[in-house]
Amino acid sequence: MKQEKFVVRRIVLGIICLIWILPVLAVAVNAFKMNTYVKTETFALPNAQSSAGFDNFIKGMTFGNYPFLKSALYSVVVTVLSVGAILLFTSMAAWYIARVDSKACRVIYYLCVFSMVVPFQMVMLTLSRTADSLRLNTPLTIPAVYVGFGAGLAVFMFTGFVKGIPLAIEEAASIDGCGPVRTFFTVVFPMLQPTLVSVGILEIMWIWNDYLLPVLVLDIYEYRTIPIHIQYLKGSYGTVDLGATMALILLSVVPVVVFYLFSQKHIIEGVTAGAVKG
Amino acid sequence: MKEKRMGANRKRTIRRILLACLLVLLAAGLSSCGSGREKGRVYWLNYKPEIDPTLQKLAREYREKTGTEVRVITAASGTYAQTLIAEMDKSAPPTLFVLSNASDVQTWQKYAMDLRDTPIAGELSTDAYNLYDDAGRLAAVGYCYECYGIIVNPALVEAAGHSMEEIRNFDGLKAVAEDIHRRTGELGFDAFTSSDMDGSSSWRFTGHLVNLEYVYEEREAGKIWTECPPAITGAYLDYYRNLFDLCINNSLVAPNTLATGGHDAREEFVSGKAAFFINGSWEYDTISKAIPGAMMIPYYCGMAGEENAGLNCGTSNYWAVNASVSEADRQATMDFMMWLVTDPEASAEMVREVGVMPFRQAAPSENGFLKNAEEYTARGCYVMDWATNFQPNTDQYRAGLVSALNRYCAEQTDENWEAFRSAFVDGWANQYAATRP
Amino acid sequence: MKPTILTKPMRKWAWLFLGPMLVCFGIGFVWPFLHGTYLSFCRFLLVRDAEWIGGGNYAAAFSDPSFRSAFGFTAVFAVVSVILINIPAFAAALALNRKFRGRNLYRAVFFMPNLIGGIVLGHLWSMIFDGILAGFGTSILLDAKLGFWGMIIVLLWQQVGYMMIIYIAGLQAIPADMMEAAEIDGASGSQKLFRIIIPNMMPAITICLFLTLTNGFKLFDQNLALTAGQPFIQQADGTTVRTTEMLALNIYNTFYSQGPSNRGIAQAKAVIFFVTVAGISLIQLVATRRKEVQQ
Repeated sequence: MKQEKFVVRRIVLGIICLIWILPVLAVAVNAFKMNTYVKTETFALPNAQSSAGFDNFIKGMTFGNYPFLKSALYSVVVTVLSVGAILLFTSMAAWYIARVDSKACRVIYYLCVFSMVVPFQMVMLTLSRTADSLRLNTPLTIPAVYVGFGAGLAVFMFTGFVKGIPLAIEEAASIDGCGPVRTFFTVVFPMLQPTLVSVGILEIMWIWNDYLLPVLVLDIYEYRTIPIHIQYLKGSYGTVDLGATMALILLSVVPVVVFYLFSQKHIIEGVTAGAVKG
Repeated sequence: MKEKRMGANRKRTIRRILLACLLVLLAAGLSSCGSGREKGRVYWLNYKPEIDPTLQKLAREYREKTGTEVRVITAASGTYAQTLIAEMDKSAPPTLFVLSNASDVQTWQKYAMDLRDTPIAGELSTDAYNLYDDAGRLAAVGYCYECYGIIVNPALVEAAGHSMEEIRNFDGLKAVAEDIHRRTGELGFDAFTSSDMDGSSSWRFTGHLVNLEYVYEEREAGKIWTECPPAITGAYLDYYRNLFDLCINNSLVAPNTLATGGHDAREEFVSGKAAFFINGSWEYDTISKAIPGAMMIPYYCGMAGEENAGLNCGTSNYWAVNASVSEADRQATMDFMMWLVTDPEASAEMVREVGVMPFRQAAPSENGFLKNAEEYTARGCYVMDWATNFQPNTDQYRAGLVSALNRYCAEQTDENWEAFRSAFVDGWANQYAATRP
Repeated sequence: MKPTILTKPMRKWAWLFLGPMLVCFGIGFVWPFLHGTYLSFCRFLLVRDAEWIGGGNYAAAFSDPSFRSAFGFTAVFAVVSVILINIPAFAAALALNRKFRGRNLYRAVFFMPNLIGGIVLGHLWSMIFDGILAGFGTSILLDAKLGFWGMIIVLLWQQVGYMMIIYIAGLQAIPADMMEAAEIDGASGSQKLFRIIIPNMMPAITICLFLTLTNGFKLFDQNLALTAGQPFIQQADGTTVRTTEMLALNIYNTFYSQGPSNRGIAQAKAVIFFVTVAGISLIQLVATRRKEVQQ
């Protein structure tokens, strides 16, 4: 009886999961079809007539005069630097906010929460202008903008998590003669690991897929990221090569999926533990 | 005590390092904005993705030849307005940008330099493609000249047992198209290509085909528009409907599948699947390679006297020089423009991409569709000017037309047509009001 | 919180701990935000040439029928999406919190949609909806109801996985002895759910409601890619209502409209939009936080 119920539940879950994954599979399947068949035979597997082999990938990686690999490189640079900077700077700030808890800290904390509800449209013009006047238009400097716009969520989550860590450990370190900087880097930072991973994956997903902010801020003559590159696949007069688009999407999703699978354990363990406890 | 001082020392050191970093950053920022301005730079924000490779090549050649810094940035398709606004606000804004209609000039006139009495204006072979702003300043000059109409594959028309002679007006076109469509199974091809209503094709109907209505309104009033009229009558919409119905009902794809698109009309035409294709002279290069005999005929729509109609000739590509950049930049930009239209090789490359360039020394065009246009004019036919360029708040107005046409394509009732009429006529007045201060 | 042994030495390092984050926050948020608010009182084409005109933009924004209809549509959409995302996410969390083989795979599958960006997602789903609806001779662009539910499905598909993970974290934070005690007392399934699980998960519920509500309100990419506001309805007075246009898209369309005053109006709409979202989230946070205190 119980066994039966269990089996039924597994089957139901399996079916739901299958439905869930179908759209992702649709991308994969259509990446191998010729453009004209993508819309007419969306759900069919590529057959002798509609199969494009790897042509879509080749087109996606070679079209135009901006090398795809260059944009992939810039995507990696922007994402890694920005996420690194966000994790470091906001966890430092969050620890200070949680532990010192002065009036000023509370103001900063609520400003961060506040920034989470601000729609991007509200700041897009002024943000790109500010970034331009400070010359933040290269992949090495755009992380400053990302830290600024992404700080809200990260500070919010880290603060919540820090509040859940018992004070005793830090106090012990302090009594042993550790200054705050050492306490943070040797004691607190390692303890933050689960939240670092979950905030990290959130920020990676956002920055890796972001189109509007980099296209407004970066000097697009020199620097393009993968989402910008994909936008350029839209040819003259608005025609879209769907096959090549799907191929590029597939390529761009792979690194994130790999990263996710490697860090899944941590994500589930820690995810938003901070937020939940906050 | 000692430890405390050490801590303070270390703290001071760290502070100094951070300060130094900040200073270096600032210095780098300042130096990058101070240098290299004497010579003048050129930055063309280009609107046409398809000519980007050629422009990059020409920019490189010009840079090598003269040492001038030339940048051509092409906005991704559909993002030009957004890119223009963002780029114009930057510290190194475009020195040369593209406007596509009167509404654009009204928006950007403050930033467009008056080109009267400049060498580039002196090179123009006609005043017909210039845009003047409210104060009568020459805000933008048309840099290429195009035409649109119905592209025909005469070989297919003949294969169906008809001749091009039969198509002299709407009745002739209708008879041929309906016959082909009826016999599509036997012939192996259809009359019209698909008419998608998504971003890839809708402009052919909401930007170009609608032109016939505007032009007949102009002709009724007896003069062409020189600025956007606050309202239109839509009196000739039935003629638009004639041609539009013919086009969607005698086509490779069913009308109710047009809304979300996904078909490739150009591909259908060049592979010989359809005989008629509503489009313009910019397609000549691609089409003539596959179908050397392709030709362009006017929008025959049932209007009395349309046997004397010509093609729709004009442009939606105007050069404007940024008035807010330095004198040196403007000079460098105009020198570059001069080179593009006077240098034999450079202008030949440009002309091959964009069709006719209305400048005295520009290379002649080999574009067959533009030759068709000239033939009609030479025969004494009236030219349909691009009245469509006066559409107010262009993108929003067209979005309204698209939505109404989607409904109509799904269900071709008079009621849905009246809704389209409202989008067409009332939408014009509304968008006109929305863009006035 | 009372000062601890750490507080004093930490204060000396405030510049190091807070400095980098605050500098970036200033550049990336505070200044653009203030500047943006200022612009909502200006007429401008380019930001550098803004010219103060007072509250006219707000008057224009409020009297714009398309803005009002977008407002209503967005509010309904946000509420429906909050309900339809959180219930399945909660259920999935309950189902996937048990230990069984392949659990991580299931979780990964649910989380996967989060890894794909918004515009891409729109392309993908409009392709799928086309494929399905073409069989019924209609399209997502023809019927406002289809557009509404289409966008709900996309958002649901995308966000259930993430909310599920937050709920799982919340479930794991429930003390095991509490559940055991309930088990021994013979509590029924629904008793366990309503008396123990839900009250103990209020923090997770707060955060999920907050995230789904703001995401629902701020939806943009998917809206643009899926319906772009279609179908439009021509009203008797000649004005147009874009039946599936949400607030962010309405603001975007106003931004990139031609004419001299539209950017200022768009900026004013953005401020109104922001104040609304902030107000609603604040009410929601206060309301659910209070429940947390009570339990």
